[in-house]
Amino acid sequence: MPKKPPGLIILDILSLIGVLCALGLILFFTPVEATMGPVQKVFYFHVASAWAGMLSFILAAAAGAGYLITRRFSWDWLSLSAVEVGVIFGLIAILSGMIWARPIWNTWWVWDPRLTTTAIMELIFGAYFILRSGLNTPEARARLGAVYAVVSVATVPLTFFSIRFFRTIHPVVIAGTSSGAAFNMSPRMLVAFFTSLAAFTILLADLVWNRFRLAKLKATNQQEMQ
Amino acid sequence: MSPILRYLRVIWQIIRKDIRLEWRGRQGVPVMLVFSLLVVFLFNFALQLSPDLQAGLAAGLLWVSLAFAATLGLNRSISLERESGALDGLLLAPVDRSAIFFGKSLSNFLFTSLVALVLLPVFSLFYGNNILNLSLILIVLLGVGATTSLGTLLAALSIQTRTRDVLLPVLLYPLALPILIAAVEASRGVLSGRALSDSRNWILLLLACDVLFTAAGLMFFETILEE
Repeated sequence: MPKKPPGLIILDILSLIGVLCALGLILFFTPVEATMGPVQKVFYFHVASAWAGMLSFILAAAAGAGYLITRRFSWDWLSLSAVEVGVIFGLIAILSGMIWARPIWNTWWVWDPRLTTTAIMELIFGAYFILRSGLNTPEARARLGAVYAVVSVATVPLTFFSIRFFRTIHPVVIAGTSSGAAFNMSPRMLVAFFTSLAAFTILLADLVWNRFRLAKLKATNQQEMQ
Repeated sequence: MSPILRYLRVIWQIIRKDIRLEWRGRQGVPVMLVFSLLVVFLFNFALQLSPDLQAGLAAGLLWVSLAFAATLGLNRSISLERESGALDGLLLAPVDRSAIFFGKSLSNFLFTSLVALVLLPVFSLFYGNNILNLSLILIVLLGVGATTSLGTLLAALSIQTRTRDVLLPVLLYPLALPILIAAVEASRGVLSGRALSDSRNWILLLLACDVLFTAAGLMFFETILEE
């Protein structure tokens, strides 16, 4: 087995440090929110994982487009890796959101644009796996998977905006004002928030890279067996 | 013959072939129609609907039964081509593949719209409320158009898998959600007696779906069917 590339090892360590730092800041540095209490601290990882999930969805479609243009399998490995990692981040976002919503909204679930769009994204990811598992050759898996990823990423914003026409109760943390975006957070909260965002972005890159390496090893292994 | 005329001729020939097959076999539209009526019956008893249905419920029921019926038609339309290698014959023809997509998707549109046009008066009878009007028909055509162009593309995807046509609803429904939301909301507006212009946003969204999914079909149909 080829050695793990040094860049990946560095990224492994960085993402571990990043997540630990973010966790430390959230637990010991940020103030307890005045009305919501300690449960508000879910927010930092919740937003960060929703962000990572959305990012990986876009990455999967972009890599799919890359495959359709170049027909190189490395793009397909990237696309598949992004989807697999994205499913996990999406799940974390949904579950952590539920934990927060139960005491604050007094319900586990509401049919709000963000919640519904995230859930639909998970269902699309699920359909993507079922599609791939029903195809016999790696070529067909790559080609049809890429088409599905590209078409579905185009529909997700439509879903979001069509639900947004209804009124939403989801809190808007980053509010648009006349002088640009403003944050409804104290400075200490901001530090923890951006640390979490950065940590989860590094973690996403790290996981996708690891999964990509696995896909590549698997493909070369299958070639050698034949 | 100019290339554009030739392109249109290919589309027309495919639609004509599908219409002729449907006329002789009568296995698509009647099945879809009976199925959509059965969905109405199932929902009627499952949800214990009253005869004077509210606009919101009526719009929802209408679109759910149409979406289910469309899936049946889409599956049949593409699996027909798989029988005795008809698809290979189509693909060997020296014509643009996007013309094949247009042809298949338009014939699907035709059949599903036909089902809708029979469903609307029957629906009006059942729920004692005439829902047959021009605004609603316009919304139905726009919604069915978007569903069938996206569905034709995805049926070509799903037919290549081992599970064949079972997969289509799983691929289609999460992507068709914006169509469903916009169509239901626009229909609800019209059914509760408001002017069509009140639902302008929803109709624009439906139009956007029509354009987007037709463009997606044009772009990817060739890629999906290449061997």
